[in-house]
Amino acid sequence: MKEPILRTENLYFRYPTREEYALRAINIEIFGGEFVAFIGQNGCGKTTLLKHFNGLLRPTQGKVFLYGQDTAGIPTCKLASKVGYVFQNPDHQIFADTVREEIAFGPKNLGFDQSHIESITKDVLKAVGLEEYIDCPPFSLGKGQRQRLAIAAVLAMEPDILIIDEPTTGQDWHESIQIMELLRELNSQGHTIIITSHNMQLVSLYARRVVLMANGEIWMDGTPQRVFSDPDRLREVYIKAPMLYQLAHRFCPNADLSRVVTPEDLADLLYDQIYACRPASERGAV
Amino acid sequence: MPLIEVKDLTFTYRGASQPALKGVSFTIEAGEFVGLIGPTGAGKTTLCMALAGIIPFTVLGKMGGRVWIAGMNTIEHEVAELAQVIGLVLQDAQAQLLMTDVEKEIVFPLENLALPREEIARRLEAALDLVHLKEMRRLHPFYLSGGQRQRVALASILAMEPQILVLDEATSELDPVGVEEVLSVVSELKAKGKTIILVEHNMEELVRFADRVIVLRAGRIVADGPARQILTNISLLQDIGVYPPQITLVGQRLRELGLDLPELPLTLDEGITMLEQLVKAHANLSGEERVVK
Repeated sequence: MKEPILRTENLYFRYPTREEYALRAINIEIFGGEFVAFIGQNGCGKTTLLKHFNGLLRPTQGKVFLYGQDTAGIPTCKLASKVGYVFQNPDHQIFADTVREEIAFGPKNLGFDQSHIESITKDVLKAVGLEEYIDCPPFSLGKGQRQRLAIAAVLAMEPDILIIDEPTTGQDWHESIQIMELLRELNSQGHTIIITSHNMQLVSLYARRVVLMANGEIWMDGTPQRVFSDPDRLREVYIKAPMLYQLAHRFCPNADLSRVVTPEDLADLLYDQIYACRPASERGAV
Repeated sequence: MPLIEVKDLTFTYRGASQPALKGVSFTIEAGEFVGLIGPTGAGKTTLCMALAGIIPFTVLGKMGGRVWIAGMNTIEHEVAELAQVIGLVLQDAQAQLLMTDVEKEIVFPLENLALPREEIARRLEAALDLVHLKEMRRLHPFYLSGGQRQRVALASILAMEPQILVLDEATSELDPVGVEEVLSVVSELKAKGKTIILVEHNMEELVRFADRVIVLRAGRIVADGPARQILTNISLLQDIGVYPPQITLVGQRLRELGLDLPELPLTLDEGITMLEQLVKAHANLSGEERVVK
C-alpha cells in the first residue's frame, strides 16, 4: 500500500498561554501528489495544524511523521527543506532589497552552490511569471505579484510539499486564478500542494481533496463534491457551499457529482435532469 | 443637483508615467447604492480617494477635472470638512485603527471636530448601535476579530455622520463570517437611505445590494448602468477579469443548450425559481412531446 508522506497520530496542541486545546485528536494522512484544501472559520485550527507539518509548531501530545519518520527531534530548518511554508501575508516574509536576493536567501542557507542558486532563481521566477522583475525591489511589485514572489522564494528551496496559507486573500479574481493555475501546474509536476482558503469557489475548482475543520477537529474530509454536497453539515460550522453545489443538492440530489466542477458542468447535468424521460417523482426535483 | 459630480477627472501619481484616471465623468444622486468594479490597477482606489478629497491633497500628483461633493468643489475644501460629508473605509482596517479601545477610536475624530460633549456621546452611542458593538466598547482593537475591527473602522467613520459612505474592498481580507457582519451593517445603512459606493470583487455579494454598477478599466469608465444589466453581461465581466456569479453562468449555459430563458438569474434564489419553473414546464408536457425533446 502507498505510504503517506505526511501523517499525524492523535495530535493535540495547546498554545502555552491558553487553557483550551487548539487542536484535538487529529489523525490525518496526506499522500504524495495530492492537492488538499483546508477550510473552516478563522480560529478553527487550520493554520495551527499546517504549522505542525514543517515544525513551526510542535505537538503538545501525539506525533507528526514525514516520510514515515517521526519529526520530533528533527529541527525545523531540516523539515523546511522538504516542506515549504508560504505565509498568508507575503509581506511578513519578504525582506530583501531585490527579487533576486529574496529568492536566493533560502537556497543559500541550505548550502546550495552558487551556480545552482543562479539557475534555480531563474527557474522559479519563470514558473511564477516574474522573470523581468529579477532586479526590482520586492515592494515595488503589486500585491498579487508579491504573493507569487513569496511562493517562488519557498519553491527555490525545492521542497516536495508546498503549504500556502490563504494564497488568494485580497486579490482580484484574475490574480487569484493566476496563482491557483500556478499551484495546479506545480502539482502536476509532482509537488504536493496544501492550502487553506475561505474562497469556496476556488477550492471547488482546484482542490481534489477538502478537509473541513471546526473547533480544532477534523469535521469532514473528502472530495470537494462530497464535502460541498452536504449543506446541513456545512451549515453547522458556518460554511456556505459554492452556489453550484447548493443548486446540485436541491435539483439533482442523487446525481453523480464527481464530474461537476464548473458552472457549465452543472448546467449540462441540470439539462439532462430536466429533460430525462423519467417521472417527476424519480427525478428528485422539487 | 446630484450629490456627487465628477467631471473629466484625471490623476497622475507623482513619479508615475501613466495617469491612473483618464477623464472620468459621472454623477450620483442621493440614496443611490453604486458598485464600483474593475481589475486591479483600474483606478478604483484612486477614484475613491479623489471623492474623499485625499487626492490631490494628501496623496500627491497631478489632478485635472473637478469633483463636487454635496456642492463642494473638493479642491476648495479641507479633507476634514469633506470628511463630514463623505466617509471612506479602506481594505485594511488595522491601518486605520490607532487608539487603545473601541470607544476612544470612535470619539477621536469627533473630539478633533471640537463637538460638544453631549453631541459626542450621542454620536458614539448611535455609531456603536449601527455596527452592533455596544458590548465591546471597552476592548482594545487587538482583541477583536477581523470583522469586528472592520466594524470599528466603519463606526468611527459613521460617527462623523457622513451622507456618503465609500467602502473600498472593505471585506476582502475578512473570513466569511466577518464579510457577513460587515455587509449586514452595509445593508442596514442602505435601508436607512445612505448614499453608498462599494468597491467589491465578489459579484455574488455586490448583486445583493447595488442598484447601479460602474465599471472602470485602465483609468476609464467602460460601462455604467443598472446593476442587473451590467452583472448579466458575462462577456463584459470576463473581459475585465471579473468572475460573474456562478448561477449566471449556469443560466448562460442553459441558454446555449437551447432553453428559452428571458432573463439570466443573478442570485441563488432567482436561480432556484428559474429551475423550478423549467422543471414544472417540462413535467406539464405530454409523454410524446418529451420523447421528441
